[in-house]
Amino acid sequence: MTFTDLLNTLGVPMALLGAVLAALMAGIGSAIGVGMAGEAAAGALTEDPSKFGKVLILQLLPGTQGIYGLLIAFLTLSNIGILGGSADISFAKGMLYFFACVPMGFVGLWSAKRQARASVASINLISRKPDQFGKSIILPAMVETYAVLALLVSLLAVANIGKLPL
Amino acid sequence: MAVLPMRRISIYGLKSQRKGVLELLQRRGAVEVIAQQPDEDKLSTMDTQAARNQFLSTQSTAKRALEILDIHCPVKKSPLAMLEGRTPISSEMYNDGLQRVKEISAVASRIVQLERDREDCKAEILRLQTQKESLSPWLGLDISMRMKGTRSTSVFIGTFPQAYTREQILIALAQKLPEVHAIEVEVLSTLSQQTCVFLICLSEESAAVETALRSMGFAWPPNPSKKPPSERVQQLEGWIQEQEEKLSGILQELKTYGNRRDDLCFLYDYYAMRIEKYEVLALLCQSRRTFIITGYLPAKNVPALEKELTETFTVFVETEEPGENEEVPVALENNAFAAPMEPVLEGYSLPKRGEVDPCTPMACFYYLLFGMMLSDAAYGLIMTIGCAAVLLKFKNMESGLKKSLKMFMYSGISTTFWGILFGSWFGDAVTVISKTFFGTEVTIPALWFVPLNEPMRLLVFSFLLGIIHLFAGLGVQFYQCAKAGRWKDAIYDVVFWYLLVGGGIVYLLTMEMTTEMLGLGFTLPEPVGTISAVCAGIGAVGVLFTAGRDSKNPGKRFLKGIYGLYNVSGYLSDILSYSRLLALGLATGVIASVFNQMGAMVGGGVVGAIVFTLVFLIGHTLNIGINVLGAYVHTNRLQYVEFFGKFYEGGGKKFNPFAAHTKYYKIREENKP
Repeated sequence: MTFTDLLNTLGVPMALLGAVLAALMAGIGSAIGVGMAGEAAAGALTEDPSKFGKVLILQLLPGTQGIYGLLIAFLTLSNIGILGGSADISFAKGMLYFFACVPMGFVGLWSAKRQARASVASINLISRKPDQFGKSIILPAMVETYAVLALLVSLLAVANIGKLPL
Repeated sequence: MAVLPMRRISIYGLKSQRKGVLELLQRRGAVEVIAQQPDEDKLSTMDTQAARNQFLSTQSTAKRALEILDIHCPVKKSPLAMLEGRTPISSEMYNDGLQRVKEISAVASRIVQLERDREDCKAEILRLQTQKESLSPWLGLDISMRMKGTRSTSVFIGTFPQAYTREQILIALAQKLPEVHAIEVEVLSTLSQQTCVFLICLSEESAAVETALRSMGFAWPPNPSKKPPSERVQQLEGWIQEQEEKLSGILQELKTYGNRRDDLCFLYDYYAMRIEKYEVLALLCQSRRTFIITGYLPAKNVPALEKELTETFTVFVETEEPGENEEVPVALENNAFAAPMEPVLEGYSLPKRGEVDPCTPMACFYYLLFGMMLSDAAYGLIMTIGCAAVLLKFKNMESGLKKSLKMFMYSGISTTFWGILFGSWFGDAVTVISKTFFGTEVTIPALWFVPLNEPMRLLVFSFLLGIIHLFAGLGVQFYQCAKAGRWKDAIYDVVFWYLLVGGGIVYLLTMEMTTEMLGLGFTLPEPVGTISAVCAGIGAVGVLFTAGRDSKNPGKRFLKGIYGLYNVSGYLSDILSYSRLLALGLATGVIASVFNQMGAMVGGGVVGAIVFTLVFLIGHTLNIGINVLGAYVHTNRLQYVEFFGKFYEGGGKKFNPFAAHTKYYKIREENKP
């Protein structure tokens, strides 16, 4: 077994590490975010339980990063052949998958946390001014833009790495 | 299709008809009354605060009575009941209710009183029961607990703070009082922390005995009963019985009011209307015999209302065009296609004076963008059918909710459309099911292409859609300026930007590098590039010289022009923002596929089918929920930030007419003009 062969056995683990990273970090971010927003939402409900529908939506906003992370992880798993098919890719490709997953993982984590803070503030806003629901949704959604952009980069990369002649 | 033109109305009438005029206005619900400052000595406004407070208190009694009835005579409500809207009642029913307002108020007060009595009864029963329980250790005593002794004997009835037997007490006393010989002790009851005793001795020795007893921790009972405990217990039980009978009487009476719920709702609404009427009354200018009502109403309602008012009452009605600086309330009117956008627009802000109603251009893009972000044919069908079913079943729904549901229904249709184009039915459910359970692979082909296979293609399409959306926004701005006759603004703020951004984009398409990166498969020829570059140049120079036209200082104007040109980067980020169409669309499909694959992991057979069905149901429900939320939020964002950013400012005040803002009933107008 040459050194290159040895190195190439690391292809799948590297790619898997990337996939796991995307799901893991974005998932952690969303868990923290939805938790924070949930606390604020429960607080708002003690004053007016009829706002449940509105605060629930605001609570769920930081939850999407986890889903984006799952999406990237799943696409990677499926592309490297772990979900059926032969899991056999070169080290170079494994590294490429790893790097492709990094934006989703990091941006997912941070944007979910920051979005949660905006959500908490928005929950406070609608507990005082219930008619401002439209605006209260948009403010946290602004943060999500960057998670969407990270998702896009990761997505395009993961979807196209398979076509490279490596 | 637009912001309704408003007119300012003034109604002058005699005070004797004030009530009638106000009631008519309230029933018609057409005029928003505004406050008038009395500018002459003869005119004044009325303070109705005291009367309103009184109404509020009766209204809250009715509300409280309803809450009490909900506890004691609950009625089952379906969770969909909130969709039903207010119950319509006829004028006769309303007039009939009016006759009974006094009686219903009495019922409401009675119910509240009964609830108080019930609470008192409960507390009393608990108090008596506690007393009864505290007597239970003394039941062995057959004399009064307050007995102190006879002429020659002293009696001690009390407790020790620990468990003693008769023997232990006698021994302890014998040790402390060797000289005393005549002591009789009876232990009535023993608990681990308490011994109840009856003790008798000669009265001349009582002082010594008491000292000894105290040293052992003896204490008199806290509330000794005068009668022997067993008799007292019987008496208490009698009282408890009495209270319980009273309680059941109260509950029974409360139950008889179960059928008065409708009346109480009516009472609540009646006072809601009166409170609103008195709020308006406080706004009116009045002299000794006359009053003036001033307000706004949609111009189209003027003739009918004017006719009705002058025919029914001795009033003088005058309408005029609102002045330049007045803050006129905004009412929108749109066709069935664009009306569902009104709540979305309200979520941002209503158009300020002079701005166009953006609902129609918004609607064209809203449904399109929403559908593209959700893009699953099956989800779209579920949304469409679900909303349509609810809309058909609850015809009486409140209009705001109805509009929102219609918005989701139209979005559902668009979602189905995109889903068919992209070949997504519950993600790849058909493929997975056919492969797992039937052994053959069946795929519903995409009418256009499968986004997951060609993400670049969809990305480019998203950008294209974004550019159209943004240019449409600029187009509205052009229309707005042109309508107001500000042709210069229209050219400076819109045409130059069309040239600059449009020219720039076309120029990029003539470069091989860009077209290759975007995977377009074509490159525009050289001459087009030259023309577009010239256009972009004209646009850029135009923006540079006109963006700062508000400033007089030429230096400042030039700098502002450069800053205006810098806005190109804003267009770039706006266009890139539409990449969320791709990202969210893919998210729906991929998550759906994840659930399908998870369900299929157990394999075929009966068990596999059961597991698949479970995972399928739960997973797709979850996916619909999350992605409808995502699509809703991000469509709103694209409208609010990217689209509105090009032309819309908002800041209008909603038209809030003086009407019957009731909670339970809606009075039907038989003779509505």
